[in-house]
Amino acid sequence: MFKIPRIIVYVLMIGGCIALIPPLVFARMRATPSPNRPIHIFWDMDFQPKFKAQAPNPLFADGRAMRPPVQGSVARGESYVDTHMFEGVVDGQWATALPTSMKLDQATLERGQQRFNIYCSACHGYSGYGDGAVNQRAMELVSNVNGPVNGTQWVAAKSLHDETTRHQPMGQLFNTITHGIRNMAGYGAQISVTDRWAIAAYVKALQFSQDAGSSGAKVAGAAN
Amino acid sequence: MSRFLFPRWSNALLPFVLVVGAIAPLYMTLLVAYGFSPKTLDGQYQPEQPVPYSHALHAGKLGLDCRYCHSTVENAAHAAVPPTQTCMNCHTQIHKDSPKLEKVRESYATGMPIEWIKVHKLGDYAYFNHAAHVTRGVSCVECHGRVDQMEVVHRAQPLAMGWCLDCHRNAVDHVRPPEEVFNLSKPTDSWTKDQRLELIKRYDLHPNDNCSTCHR
Repeated sequence: MFKIPRIIVYVLMIGGCIALIPPLVFARMRATPSPNRPIHIFWDMDFQPKFKAQAPNPLFADGRAMRPPVQGSVARGESYVDTHMFEGVVDGQWATALPTSMKLDQATLERGQQRFNIYCSACHGYSGYGDGAVNQRAMELVSNVNGPVNGTQWVAAKSLHDETTRHQPMGQLFNTITHGIRNMAGYGAQISVTDRWAIAAYVKALQFSQDAGSSGAKVAGAAN
Repeated sequence: MSRFLFPRWSNALLPFVLVVGAIAPLYMTLLVAYGFSPKTLDGQYQPEQPVPYSHALHAGKLGLDCRYCHSTVENAAHAAVPPTQTCMNCHTQIHKDSPKLEKVRESYATGMPIEWIKVHKLGDYAYFNHAAHVTRGVSCVECHGRVDQMEVVHRAQPLAMGWCLDCHRNAVDHVRPPEEVFNLSKPTDSWTKDQRLELIKRYDLHPNDNCSTCHR
């Protein structure tokens, strides 16, 4: 047996070690978040000369591929002729019932509850007392010992059960949800018309449920 | 002129050469399969966003519903990134002078969009429909992971075709009652296989694996 020179043995050992590096690099890439992905080796048709939703387009001054509607345009099916449906107003007065195309039933109230929990409960709380998580957080920031954090100003979210809100007709609630009021922003862009009505109906139900006097019992009967 | 002759010791290397020769193709094959897999090339993409928005705070600690901001997800193919107005629903008052929100205030004042960086980008040939999935019981968490725990959002899944098909061919492991879709903290195996089979039947779920389902 002839002896293999040292140098050859070392080269082979080093080569073996180097062969371990790529798998380790790949394993690390899999395991750690990084801004340097995705890596496109085969481009195929990953990048096509077309625009998907919310994509940028440098041809327009604002960089949006999706063009915002021209001021004053009216969406199909939203003629706004129906003031009850779109403004909550009937004959110059706040509407006291749902628009005629909607039905006050279990399904509407459940939909309203679900939407209320998504959009309203953040500030107003699940039961409407103004004790939502965002409200609590804002209160903490305002009452910080070193003064309000980052200039936070906050007026406690309104309880939906206080004297001024409790007796508001459904149309007025709809209007408030749509356009906002005082420090509350309008949710017309975030919530569809029918969902806003469903929320208004649910808020009425919530208010009656927390106002368990004779009127509460009466309405519970009427709703059935 | 003398001919080159392999030194005698090279005979001792022969078995080694054979072993390496057998392993090398296998090594290269596995390396490419592992390294060029979307799990490696796309995995855990985490770009730095123009505004350091924390899902962990908003969706986790404050418990905002995904749909508060991504309000189109139940009706449209695209789960929209919210307009600046949605941020300003709260931030006209809360943290209203925060330096982190500078770009949000600027966008609000000028009407120019904030240039958020898309994390979950598919190839332009793929058409994923959010509404079709979330209204039939595929939770956000199946593809996006625990976004409610992410300070900075990263890709939790490879979003590659093979990965899509894993679920399309075995939907029963990935469905839950539609009303629990946005509840990220509840794992899908909280429901028994029988319950999930029942859901498949009740909602008539038949995800198919035709090319034209996603490519058109």
